[in-house]
Amino acid sequence: MLLFSMAYGSLALKIPLSFMAQNEFFTSRTMPYALAVLGMIIALLILVMPTADPAGKRSLKEETRGMDWKTAILLVVGMIVYGMLMKWLGFIISSILFLLCGFYILGERRIKRMLLASIPLVILLWFVMSSLLGVYIAPGELFYTLGVL
Amino acid sequence: MWDGMINGMLTGISTTMIPMNIGMVLFGCFMGSLIGMLPGLGPITAVALMIPVTYGLEPSTGMVLLAGVYYGAIFGGSTSSILINAPGEAATVATALDGYPLARQGYPGKALAIAAYASFSGGTISVIMLMFFAPMLASVATSFQSADYFALMILGLTAVSAFAGRGGVLKALSMVVLGLMLATVGTDQTSGVQRFTFGSLELLDGIEFLLLAMATFALTEALSIVLKRDESSDSLKPKMIGFKSLKVTKKEFKQIAPTIGRSSLLGFIIGVLPGAGATLGSFMAYGMERNIAKPEDREKFGKGSLIGLAAPEAGNNAASSGSFVPLLCLGIPGSGTTAVMLGALIAYGIEPGPRMFTESPEVFWGVIMSMYLGNIFLLILNLPLIPYFARLLAIPRNLMVPMILFFSLMGVYLVTFNDFDILMMVFFCVAAMALRLMNFPMAPLLLGFILGGLMEDNLRRALLIYDESISFMWERPLTLGINLATLFILFFPMLRSFIASRRNNTDKTLSAS
Repeated sequence: MLLFSMAYGSLALKIPLSFMAQNEFFTSRTMPYALAVLGMIIALLILVMPTADPAGKRSLKEETRGMDWKTAILLVVGMIVYGMLMKWLGFIISSILFLLCGFYILGERRIKRMLLASIPLVILLWFVMSSLLGVYIAPGELFYTLGVL
Repeated sequence: MWDGMINGMLTGISTTMIPMNIGMVLFGCFMGSLIGMLPGLGPITAVALMIPVTYGLEPSTGMVLLAGVYYGAIFGGSTSSILINAPGEAATVATALDGYPLARQGYPGKALAIAAYASFSGGTISVIMLMFFAPMLASVATSFQSADYFALMILGLTAVSAFAGRGGVLKALSMVVLGLMLATVGTDQTSGVQRFTFGSLELLDGIEFLLLAMATFALTEALSIVLKRDESSDSLKPKMIGFKSLKVTKKEFKQIAPTIGRSSLLGFIIGVLPGAGATLGSFMAYGMERNIAKPEDREKFGKGSLIGLAAPEAGNNAASSGSFVPLLCLGIPGSGTTAVMLGALIAYGIEPGPRMFTESPEVFWGVIMSMYLGNIFLLILNLPLIPYFARLLAIPRNLMVPMILFFSLMGVYLVTFNDFDILMMVFFCVAAMALRLMNFPMAPLLLGFILGGLMEDNLRRALLIYDESISFMWERPLTLGINLATLFILFFPMLRSFIASRRNNTDKTLSAS
């Protein structure tokens, strides 16, 4: 938090000001400056008074012992890949793939169950959005590249 | 004033009685109950998940739906607390203290029925009070100036942090500041200057509040289930779903009726306080009832006491309705959930605050009057459907978690259609997860983020009015009063612990000598 506040404060120095604004009392930098200072003070207080937090008595190592990091990281990676694929594969295919991967990562191995839980859900959502609510969901760019659309 | 109130009530009734709005109250209660029942998912997540559904709806319809989701989720949370001792969120932890033992003794139906009756009564009593207090406060608040608003926002943010629990105040305050910092990202509305955008077009409009809400709550809660290997959602034993009877005897009703009345009143008052919310409402109601109970009744607390179950249920529902008072009257959210709702109001183009009372009476009164209907729907809906709702708890974790992640990501993507937002959500989710592991609370962050823009505007205006002097903080008696309240809230816990440590030291010295 301390480092973040310091970085935030130094970035606040780079906020551009117009010629007129330079003479004003309250500019676009005022609030960020104040927040940076406040953030640093609070962060320092947290550091100086570590015993003030009863939950802090447990170290982070103790707190996170036995956690399933592998699965959580795989899910995070899955979400990142999903975000990157969305533009290329479009909503339907990328969403189905994301759900299938998610089920697999969490230990589901029954293909029929995985397909039944993903495909109808995504298609139903797509149908509701595009046909019932009239929201245009662009198809993936891959289809344009391949000349399918 | 009474004429205005009667007219407002009629406006609210006519708004609520539109078939679309009746349907939305029902839908909101239903979805809120379903989402709130899932272990790990609380009302903030439920409301955030439902916001995309409200885009395109009339503001009054959207708010009626979100209000239904809110109290539906509070009730849903109590179901999972009672059946599998897995509170969906902090507000229903106290419910589990007596609800779960009662269910284990073979009375899950009775426990759920008492929770439903207590919730209904707490919600209804609270709405009646809301109906009287909200217009009064709103009419007083029309005389508020920018300086008062700025002071009120600081009070709200401080109160949220102060109620974070002993020792967690500084962490909560740092989260408020972080939220305020995130709110400065984007184009400054007054000067048109870009701040912290790093040249990115996606950040020109700032960070979408829904994105932040979903990332810090829905996504992180789903990941927490995975990280902590939370098996509570894995499989509810089928035998637990078999309900003997939902019947509550006359004698039992008589026993819990005074408790419900007292807890509802207390819950409402606590809900009105900025930052307190349903969690404090439920715990304080539970604590109060335990303290005033007869010795023979007190012994039953924690072992399946009916009073111990009714008190937090009435308290948390009353507090959740009470938390609408600062939201609707001052435009200042009292809790994380109402902060998300404030974000939704702003997205609808409604400026929250006392003027909403006169400028958008259909929203103001529509929400209040819809709560009556919502409470009735919750009772009708939940009692017969409890056994079927409870089967939702049997959805295996390996199917449920990816679906929650999918709906959270889609909730944002289908509003903005920007794949960059998915990546930004993941970034915020990872950051929020790390902060959560270090016991930093997320609700103050959201509250700071939502209020950040309004705070800066009001500060700028107040400084302009007072010739760039910060004397606006104490010149008006009202502003001074609010600021003194802020200082009291902030320093009272520290003062109390200081006095307690002094007393301990004195005791030790006396015993040593």
